[in-house]
Amino acid sequence: MTPAHGLRRERLVRIFTVILILAVCTLVILQVEDMLLSVILAFVINCLLAPFVNALERLGLSRTTAVGCIYLAVITVMGLGLWGLAPEIGRQAAAIQTEFPRYLKELHHLIGDLEKLPKTILAKTYKASTPADSPRILPALYNRLFQDLPGLMSSLLSAMLLAPLLAFFMLMDGRTAIKKLIAIVPNNLFETALHLQYQISAQISGFVRARLLESAIVGLIVLIGLLLVGQPYPFFLALFAGLTNLVPYVGPIIGAAPALLLGLINNSPGMDLLLVMAIYALAQVLDAALVVPLVVAKIVNLHAVIVIIVIIIGAQMGGILGMIISVPVASMIKLTGITIYRHLTGFRA
Amino acid sequence: MLKSFWENTVVKGRQDLLTALKANVLFQDLSNRDLRFVADIVHLREYRNGEIVFHQDEIGFGMYIIAHGVIDITASSHYSDAGGEMFVVRLEQGDFFGELALVEENGRRSANAKAATDTRLIGFFKPDLLDIIARRPAAGVKILLRLSEVLGRRMAETTGKMTQLNEEIQRLKGGFNP
Repeated sequence: MTPAHGLRRERLVRIFTVILILAVCTLVILQVEDMLLSVILAFVINCLLAPFVNALERLGLSRTTAVGCIYLAVITVMGLGLWGLAPEIGRQAAAIQTEFPRYLKELHHLIGDLEKLPKTILAKTYKASTPADSPRILPALYNRLFQDLPGLMSSLLSAMLLAPLLAFFMLMDGRTAIKKLIAIVPNNLFETALHLQYQISAQISGFVRARLLESAIVGLIVLIGLLLVGQPYPFFLALFAGLTNLVPYVGPIIGAAPALLLGLINNSPGMDLLLVMAIYALAQVLDAALVVPLVVAKIVNLHAVIVIIVIIIGAQMGGILGMIISVPVASMIKLTGITIYRHLTGFRA
Repeated sequence: MLKSFWENTVVKGRQDLLTALKANVLFQDLSNRDLRFVADIVHLREYRNGEIVFHQDEIGFGMYIIAHGVIDITASSHYSDAGGEMFVVRLEQGDFFGELALVEENGRRSANAKAATDTRLIGFFKPDLLDIIARRPAAGVKILLRLSEVLGRRMAETTGKMTQLNEEIQRLKGGFNP
């Protein structure tokens, strides 16, 4: 075997090994129950805590001590927060549980009224027909929700237990693991692979941090506003608004819907409804005017149309989780594509 | 046997790496603790005799220190006899090359680098430097200062060579004057 043949063979073996390792990891994440959710949550925790761990390292602490200190601080803050807010959250949760059947009934009436509207307005020109099984849809949904709830809670619980553990190891040994994987890449692709990995990592971490900061700000504005106007369940509505805000474009509308529906069901005065909507609008205006230009836009530069298409594909493939992760995944694919294209065209000029 | 393997391969390899880093001008101001930190970050790469490290005009992201072996630096030339390639310099153990890529944004390599024997290189790249600056800023500043010094010296050398070549051109022009 000539040296050139030996080199080519070695490069092929190395590339194949890297692809095999990545494929096995992907397969495990996708096939093992609750693993995808746990890994995504762990990655988010890793992105959030890494700057604090780095800050402690800058003070001279070792990586292990820094990670330990941050975990201790997070557990303490979360424990104190839960202890302080638990009575209020419990009270709101109990109220929701008691009122839920009534809300469903009222919602059913509301939908019925809305269905009658086109019939009265367009009676002569448009024959609207209400599906015969519509009265059964809501109770069926209600039952399904409660049937699915134990499974959903068990998935969420296992993810919440597994994710901090995975995040701990990501913070501790993540760099070493990536370095070891990159070490297998053949010499002719090594620099590009290292640079690509660094760029993807920086872009996705920045994106995750920016989106979470954005959601926290939106949630906080909604919480303060709802507390000021005396809207029921402010904590849950603010949490929902913050979470749905993670989904670009459609998220804010979904986030405001429960507050609007609650107002309609409770026959709140029009002024109160307007006030509640103004709070959500203010949160979005502040988000769009201050937070997005400062932190988000700089990080992921995907065109709005692409973002919407990507979200639709994400929703089709993975539901709510798919919608949330679709944009970072799309930006990762774009970045990888650009770097590979540059490698093929410009890298070897 | 396992202990002997550990001592001969892993411990010695690590010690060699630390010694090579300490001997390099970029890392000479670092404390032993910072050196160990850098040793965990840099990349050890093995090249076979004749294998290309990088090509001229490729985008580069960092520098290489020769831990063991020999590297030939060549540049493409229209005037050279050797297939358009002009020999520039032969680098040996302890030498380093490609450091300009640490500070350039998508800068292109100004020459080719090829292993002249089986060679072991220590790769130090821009993401590694940024990682050091983020986690150990004091060590990062020391490396950056030394890097500036090296780049300044290289620039002074290049300016000197250009002046010398200009003088040579003028002298040749003068010589050909009737």
